[in-house]
Amino acid sequence: MKASGALELGEAPKGSTPKSVANRGISILDFILRLIAIIGTLGSAIAMGTTDETLPFVTQFNRFRAKYDDLPMFTFFVVANSIVSAYLVLSLALSIFHILRSGAKGSRIILIFFDTAMLVLLTAGASAAAAIVYLAHKGNAKANWFAICQQFNSFCERISGALIGSFGGILVFVLLILLSAVALSRR
Amino acid sequence: MDSSKSSGETTINITESRSTKGKAAAATAPPTIVATTKAIEPQKGGWKKGVAIFDFILRLCAITAALAAAATMGTTDQTLPFFTQFFQFQASYDDLPAFSFFLIAMAIASGYLVLSLPFSIVCIVRPHAAGPRLLLLIFDTVMVALTIAAASAAAAIVYLAHNGNSNTNWNAICQQFTDFCQRVSGAVVASFVAAVIFMFLIVLSGFALRKH
Repeated sequence: MKASGALELGEAPKGSTPKSVANRGISILDFILRLIAIIGTLGSAIAMGTTDETLPFVTQFNRFRAKYDDLPMFTFFVVANSIVSAYLVLSLALSIFHILRSGAKGSRIILIFFDTAMLVLLTAGASAAAAIVYLAHKGNAKANWFAICQQFNSFCERISGALIGSFGGILVFVLLILLSAVALSRR
Repeated sequence: MDSSKSSGETTINITESRSTKGKAAAATAPPTIVATTKAIEPQKGGWKKGVAIFDFILRLCAITAALAAAATMGTTDQTLPFFTQFFQFQASYDDLPAFSFFLIAMAIASGYLVLSLPFSIVCIVRPHAAGPRLLLLIFDTVMVALTIAAASAAAAIVYLAHNGNSNTNWNAICQQFTDFCQRVSGAVVASFVAAVIFMFLIVLSGFALRKH
C-alpha cells in the first residue's frame, strides 16, 4: 500500500546518460575504423591484382613476365583482401545500426564473430604473401631459390607496397574487435 | 510488512506507527516508506561459470597444440646420406627464415597461453567480473593474429617446398628432403589447430562479456 508521501528509489531513465553517450562514441569510432579498413584492403587487392611486368628482352625458352597469378599465394592474397573488403562494406550497415541503437547485444556478438573470422582470413593472406615477398627479395641459398626481385624491380615494388594496406587492415580489425568487446561489457 | 516478488524485486513497506494516544482525530494515514530493491540472483552466474570452465579447458588444448607445433618445428634436422665434396645436404628449420619466425611466434603463443591460465581461473571463480575477461579477449585477439601470421607464412613456404614454382624457377625441395617436409607440414597443421582454438576463445569471451 503506497501513500501519497511514498519514497521510491529506482534507476535513472535511459537516453542521455554518460554511459550511452560513450557507447554512441564507440559505435561512431567503429564506423570510422571500418571505412579506413575498406580503403586499406581494397587498395591492397587492387595494387596486387594489377601487377604485370614484362622485361624488355626475351630468349627462345623463357618468358620474362611477372604477374600476380604466377604465384598462388598472391592469388590467395587478392582473393582474401577482396572478400574482407566486401564483408566490411556489408558490415557498415550493422555499424550504422549500432550507432542508432546502442543497446543491441546480440548483433554485437555476431559482429565480433565475423570480425574474428575476417581477421584470421586477412592475416593468413597477408602473411603468406609477405613470406613470398621476402623470398623474392632475398632468395634462399640453401634451397637454391633465386631472388626474382633482382630482375623484376617494378613488380617487386608493387607487391611489397600492396602488403602495407593489408597489414593496416589487420591492425584496424584488432581495434574493431576490442571496441565491440568494450561496448558489450559496458552495457 | 508485505513483500511481493516480481522479477527479482522486493518491495518492503515500512509503516511508521505513531503513538496516537493524544491525537485521536488525526485521520491521515501514517506515512509509508516504500523501498524497492533488486535482489541479486546468484544462479544467473551459472552459465557464465560454465563458459569460463569451457574456456579453461580450451586453453589447455591450445597449449598442447602450440607446444607441439613449436617442438616439431624446432627438432627438424635431416641430413641426406650422400654428400659431395662441397655441399652437405642438410635441412634444418633455420635454413628458412619463415620457419624461424614460426618457431618464435609459436613459442610466444604457448608462453602467453600458460600465463593466461590464472586469469582464466579468476574468471571461473568470479563469473561476473568483466575486467579479466576483457583483458583475455584483447590479448587473445593479438595472439590469434600472431599465430595465424606464423602459420600461414610457414604454410606458404611448405606449399612452395612441396610444389615448387615453374614461373620463378624455384624447385620443390620436398622431393629430396621427405622427412623434413613431413615434420614441417605437421607443425603447420598443429599451429592452425591452435589458431582455431584461439578463435573459439575470442568468441566465447565476447559471449560471456554480456551484461544483463
